[in-house]
Amino acid sequence: MKPRNKLIRQIAPLFFVLALVSLVSFSVYAAILLRNFHIEQTRWELEAISTVAGEQVGSLVAVGREDEVDRLVKTLGDRIKTRITVIMPDGTVLGDSGRDPKSMENHADRPEIIEALKGNSGSSTRYSSTTRKEMMYVAVPVELDGRIAFTLRSSLPVNSIAQTLKSLYVDFFLGGLLIVLLAVLLAVLFSRKIVRPLEDLKHGAEKFAGGDFSRRLPVPDSAEIGELAETMNRMAGELDARIQTVERQRNELQAVLASMVEGVMAVDPQMKIIGINQACGEIIGHGVSEAEGMSLPEAVRNRELHDFVGLTLGSEEAGETEIVLHRDGERILQAHGTQLRDSAGQRIGALVVFHDVTSLRRLENVRREFVANVSHELKTPITSIKGFVETLIDENPEDADKRLRFLNIIRTHAERLNTLIEDLLALSRIEQNGDVEKVAFEPMPLHGVVDAAVAACRDRAAEGGVTLEISCPPELEATVNHSLMVQALANLIDNAIKYSDAGASIGIMAGETATELVLSVQDSGPGIEKEHLPRVFERFYRVDKARSRQLGGTGLGLAIVKHIMQVHQGSVTVESEPGRGCTFTLHLPLD
Amino acid sequence: MSVHLEAQTNKLKKSILSLSAIVEEAVYRSVKAVIGRDPRLAQEVIDGDPEVDRIEVEIEEECLKVFALYQPVATDLREVVAVLKINNDLERIADLAVNIAQRAIDLASGEPADIPYDLATMAEKAMEMLRRCLDALVKMDPALAHRVCDADEVVDEMNREAARKTRAVIRQNPDKLEPMLSLMLVARHLERIADLSTNIAEDVIYSCQGVIVRHNIELLPDNGE
Repeated sequence: MKPRNKLIRQIAPLFFVLALVSLVSFSVYAAILLRNFHIEQTRWELEAISTVAGEQVGSLVAVGREDEVDRLVKTLGDRIKTRITVIMPDGTVLGDSGRDPKSMENHADRPEIIEALKGNSGSSTRYSSTTRKEMMYVAVPVELDGRIAFTLRSSLPVNSIAQTLKSLYVDFFLGGLLIVLLAVLLAVLFSRKIVRPLEDLKHGAEKFAGGDFSRRLPVPDSAEIGELAETMNRMAGELDARIQTVERQRNELQAVLASMVEGVMAVDPQMKIIGINQACGEIIGHGVSEAEGMSLPEAVRNRELHDFVGLTLGSEEAGETEIVLHRDGERILQAHGTQLRDSAGQRIGALVVFHDVTSLRRLENVRREFVANVSHELKTPITSIKGFVETLIDENPEDADKRLRFLNIIRTHAERLNTLIEDLLALSRIEQNGDVEKVAFEPMPLHGVVDAAVAACRDRAAEGGVTLEISCPPELEATVNHSLMVQALANLIDNAIKYSDAGASIGIMAGETATELVLSVQDSGPGIEKEHLPRVFERFYRVDKARSRQLGGTGLGLAIVKHIMQVHQGSVTVESEPGRGCTFTLHLPLD
Repeated sequence: MSVHLEAQTNKLKKSILSLSAIVEEAVYRSVKAVIGRDPRLAQEVIDGDPEVDRIEVEIEEECLKVFALYQPVATDLREVVAVLKINNDLERIADLAVNIAQRAIDLASGEPADIPYDLATMAEKAMEMLRRCLDALVKMDPALAHRVCDADEVVDEMNREAARKTRAVIRQNPDKLEPMLSLMLVARHLERIADLSTNIAEDVIYSCQGVIVRHNIELLPDNGE
């Protein structure tokens, strides 16, 4: 853009030129008028002199003293600094103020004399051979007794007229110069006055452009600029209101997006991210503003997602797929993709909504496994019982020992079935009584619970050759349901005994932190592999399937513990290092 | 002219990113197949390898095209060279993932055996390095890349420990020789993946700063490695 002239630089010279043109033309006109006037004046003066002198000369001629005329003319001419000549009608010079008349030529051919002899006053400006100067002549006829007796001519050098005019012109020029200077000053002042409100408008408009609508423009007096200022003020108001509306709508929209649980992502046709919401940012591991402008492959390295978005961008229909992300642990996302269109219906990319279905899928898995597990767990003892009963019926062995052995096996399996069903019932009872109101809680010393649990397990510990080490400060109190709490702790101790070798010891410790009571059971068994840890509290989840069943577990013990702790609004956690044993901890919140 | 070159290098970067996504997933799946004893998942990884090879060849051809058509200099040159080298490393990582997947199939077909070392943590560390170096590649962040190089030592140590523990198991139970050898190889492959991640990180540093940090040339000229 070429640099623009300031308005004041455009207006001021205009004023100046205007002033100069009018001044110069007026000056020229005035000079011409003045010159003409001056010449006319001079002629008039000369005519008056001629007439007066003519009367004096006439009075001499009338009495016949023509010889004295020359002397009179010389005296007069000397006195009024004007050349005076008296010329007879035949052209001979009777007298002249400047020279001897006898030496002068005949003047009958001079234009002013010719005119004067006709009875008018005549004038002429020309070069005089007598005085050798440019002269102005005025001649008037003098009548005596009804006829022209002579003409009297007076003259002045044009030079002196020009001189006078010249000095006048110089004055004119100097005065004009002064006026021009004044005009320049005024021009600048006036232009400023015109430009100033425009400057104010400019500053105000610049503020508007910068988004500051807090101040309105001052409205100047002049109608056009005043209207402009008012219009701009109105415009600013409208703009302000509109921007606020847009901003409010955008904020609302952003608040809606931000509070959505689902992740939302918009991409353009080149797979550049236009925008994401907080939930999506959390899913893909980028900040909301950080992700904007990134390309999708940069932001998320997952080919399923890339392919899905590519498909959505290329197709007319909405799509749906399941994507597994594994940034921090596995995450299963259900993705819905649709085209993104602007207000004109033009396609500007794709919109993908992510729904985190990880827990849903896990739950489905758990349920599926539970049904399979329950059937399997129930079927195993029943198969055995059925098998041995059939053997007894079909073969009916005579040998009492053999019969007794079979019956014992049947009893063992029936017992196993019984424990299994009891555990299942316990679990469902705890679940049904999950409402806290239905369970009776009483404050009691914690060591009572520990003692009861330990007493229940003492026989089995002695059987396995395991020692129990108990540390429980007697002052600890907890508000719990006694029988449930004993069952939970006993389950943990029972498990620890099962997985401990003979001679090992199991630590049972109670303690208190700022917010909760903790009861932990520590063993030194084989421990649990890291990948099993999150699932050990699931029903029928077994770390080592063969070993667990062989040890007589139902696969429900830890699930029962978990539910009991939930009823107490507490929790159970496990820590383990493979090969070194594991620690289960019950957490009871202090109210 | 330079606009075309920029478009080309952007396209290259996009391709290398999509390749990295595939490779990262292949590694993740192969390790998951080993831990979960899932031969089907392992087979999927093996079946996905020709795709990786195809993309690798494509990227290499693109790089050569850029060299031939635009004769890039300075930053552009370094970028294309880095892409060329990272491309190669990614392809080798994908091959290692295939190797792990094959071990997973072997392991799943045999008797279930306890993993004597902490495979999950080791795989997590190696994959973390891979993920970090790819993040560094995406963000062109040399600081992040330096951190990847530093983490390599941890994985090396875990590999040595894994070898020691598997050897101990073999000595005790010679009948577990085959699964233990497979597991030892898995640890070794993971260690190689970590090494290649370090290479990628070094290439990222080279691409950003033009400094070759490989082999610690400036510091230890006679490093025995």
